[in-house]
Amino acid sequence: MKWKSFPGGVLLDPAKDRTEGKPIRKINPPTKVVLPLVQHTGTPLEPLVKKGDTVRKGQKIADAEAFITAPVHASVSGTVQGIEEWWHPVLGRFRAIVVGNDFQDLGEYREPLPEDIERLEPQFLREWIREGGIVGLGGAAFPTHVKVSPPQGKEIDSLILNGAECEPYLTCDHRVMVERAEVVLRGARVLARACGAKRVYVGIEENKKDCIKLFVNLQKDFPLPLQVVALRTKYPQGSEKQLIRAILNREVPPGGLPLDVGVVVDNVQTAWAVGRMSQEGVPLIERVITLSGDCLREPGNLEVPLGVILAELVEFCGGFEREPRKVVMGGPMMGIAQVSLEVPVIKGTSGFLFFVEVVEKREYPCIRCGRCSEGCPMFLTPSYLAKLSEFKAFAEAEENRVMDCMECGTCSYLCPAGIQITQFIKLTKNEILLRRKKGGERK
Amino acid sequence: MSELVITPAPHLRSPLDVPRVMGRVFLSLLPATIWGMAFFGLQLTLWPLLLSILGAVGFEALDCFVFRKPLSIFDGSALVTGLLLGLSLPPGVPFWIPLVGSGVAIIFGKQMFGGLGQNIFNPALVGRAVLFISWPGIMTSWRVREIWALGVPFSGEGLDVVTTATPLGISKLQGYSALTQLEPRILWRLFVGTVPGCIGEISAVALLSGFFYLLFTGVVRWDIPTFYFLGLAITGAIAGQNPLYHILAGSAIMGGCFMVTDYVTSPVTFKGKIIFGLGAGIFTGIIRWLGGYPEGVTFGILIMNALVPFLDRLLPRRFGVKKV
Repeated sequence: MKWKSFPGGVLLDPAKDRTEGKPIRKINPPTKVVLPLVQHTGTPLEPLVKKGDTVRKGQKIADAEAFITAPVHASVSGTVQGIEEWWHPVLGRFRAIVVGNDFQDLGEYREPLPEDIERLEPQFLREWIREGGIVGLGGAAFPTHVKVSPPQGKEIDSLILNGAECEPYLTCDHRVMVERAEVVLRGARVLARACGAKRVYVGIEENKKDCIKLFVNLQKDFPLPLQVVALRTKYPQGSEKQLIRAILNREVPPGGLPLDVGVVVDNVQTAWAVGRMSQEGVPLIERVITLSGDCLREPGNLEVPLGVILAELVEFCGGFEREPRKVVMGGPMMGIAQVSLEVPVIKGTSGFLFFVEVVEKREYPCIRCGRCSEGCPMFLTPSYLAKLSEFKAFAEAEENRVMDCMECGTCSYLCPAGIQITQFIKLTKNEILLRRKKGGERK
Repeated sequence: MSELVITPAPHLRSPLDVPRVMGRVFLSLLPATIWGMAFFGLQLTLWPLLLSILGAVGFEALDCFVFRKPLSIFDGSALVTGLLLGLSLPPGVPFWIPLVGSGVAIIFGKQMFGGLGQNIFNPALVGRAVLFISWPGIMTSWRVREIWALGVPFSGEGLDVVTTATPLGISKLQGYSALTQLEPRILWRLFVGTVPGCIGEISAVALLSGFFYLLFTGVVRWDIPTFYFLGLAITGAIAGQNPLYHILAGSAIMGGCFMVTDYVTSPVTFKGKIIFGLGAGIFTGIIRWLGGYPEGVTFGILIMNALVPFLDRLLPRRFGVKKV
């Protein structure tokens, strides 16, 4: 069998053996949850509750007017202890709603969807998804209702479920696919209906053979044409644009979205969250994450309420066997190093990794070996972009397509000179965006 | 818990680094080095090689000291330059030749441009070119044991050591057919390495074994060498000579496997690499065919080195844009 793939990329040690065989465990209810007002890509939220309020599990507690945003719901029932600054895994410190758990588990859920999903109005489904606070659970946390709302004149023909999970160590999507395939596919029906897709693809890397088999078995009962696509295990196979290229051989134009080539891509766990909400009415208040690396006594996949503090999860995993020197939220290639164990799980948290060793590389001058260019899945010349960044030649960097970079980290990984190419590119992109903003204001 | 380390993503880095790359290149040259030493004898080869290597590393250290730059000799690049230069010298050269060559290579070919990664021209080739132009007599006198000599030896020098013409010299002056009349097994002898030449350039099989090691360990790629040999073979064929002979003779295997593949002085993108390889091969062939020297590898590659900054502008296709 030939595995589908994309040009460029890099073969990494998947390092998934620590957790891929471990079933999802539900954690003990936490004493409190911390729910930051930004857990998605888009406009920050305003709280709908105040200190002292009693909230129910599943109750909407923060929202905003904007289109690109997603509300947050209480993940436990109890009392609002305050709206205060707290550690945020991405933003350093940020305002968050702290809810003390009363362990009553009083719920305020939504109406489940009727069985005949294919008859529901797409517009209704989009609003329903939005009200559930659903965002992409692969890590980028882009609001799902925006993804499934094609603008006028754009037709969506295919929905791709992203089961590639190409980052090393992470296995939460793998476990969700193995244990909750039916719910995932139910979510796929809702998502396909919402965006108008006529066909569904499930892309799975071939190091998850059990998932491939399972989904192939479920194909015939699915109301839409469903195709399971085995993908080569190669980083960054789970990137939207690379996934679409591998499965449909279509390329999203620069600066464009999957919508532009008639596709919506959703992570399998997002589909699971949608499917679960359609069955039980539970909005996005829980997710499955991976805790792994080389420090925990019992690494594994946990189903956790959003807002639970990392330190509590560490305790649940038996504490540290060895003291970590680095803690990363997300995968090792794109994840964010953490300052503290007091950070909460947010919607975009796919896992936390704990490392004893900090991988550092001595820096040498660029020897122009070209590995970064060969590996770049966006066909850029990263070493040159890094040089332009060093010289602050931002306009030239823009001409050389720096904005096409999706910051997958492949170039930095490959560089034998140990240059932080991705970091240089991120700085350049930031600078260009800032200048655009300023330029816009002047006009 | 002690303080956590904060660094930007990615948190994984490949184990391959610059000294390891240079180390592999050095290793890959050892078969050719050992063959050269065995063929010409240690007396004629050990000193040039050692002086060339020590000279390259020494001049780099000196440059770092004089210009107050951090000491860069441990990245391994000077070591490789020294070995490459030494291998491209005729056996038995005077002791000052490798020293002058390595000095020019390191100081003028590399450090003056800003050091590792900044130089436009392959340093070893710069050193060789200067030696070649300045002392052509020394640089083209091939001493060899009599039994291996080609055709009529120019002069006897001892009991069994003679100075002889090279195949490229003979075919240049008297034509390829004259050469094959003189030595019908010339291709086989060039392949194995029993024809006089520069210390490390005589055995195609030794050089290629090192090259395949680099290929399989992922240090170099097939693209530039393939197009280099293609360009050379085509030009050789147009000149009416055996294309395979052109690939096997002189410095072509050394140049096509270890000189055009120099990261620093070759283009980064695939399109650039194709043109670079083809161009260097074609120029090598043209110089051999129409130029004043029998050999064209050095200048063929140096000419294309000069074009690399331009070739680097040939960017790959933009993802998502099929046609420009």
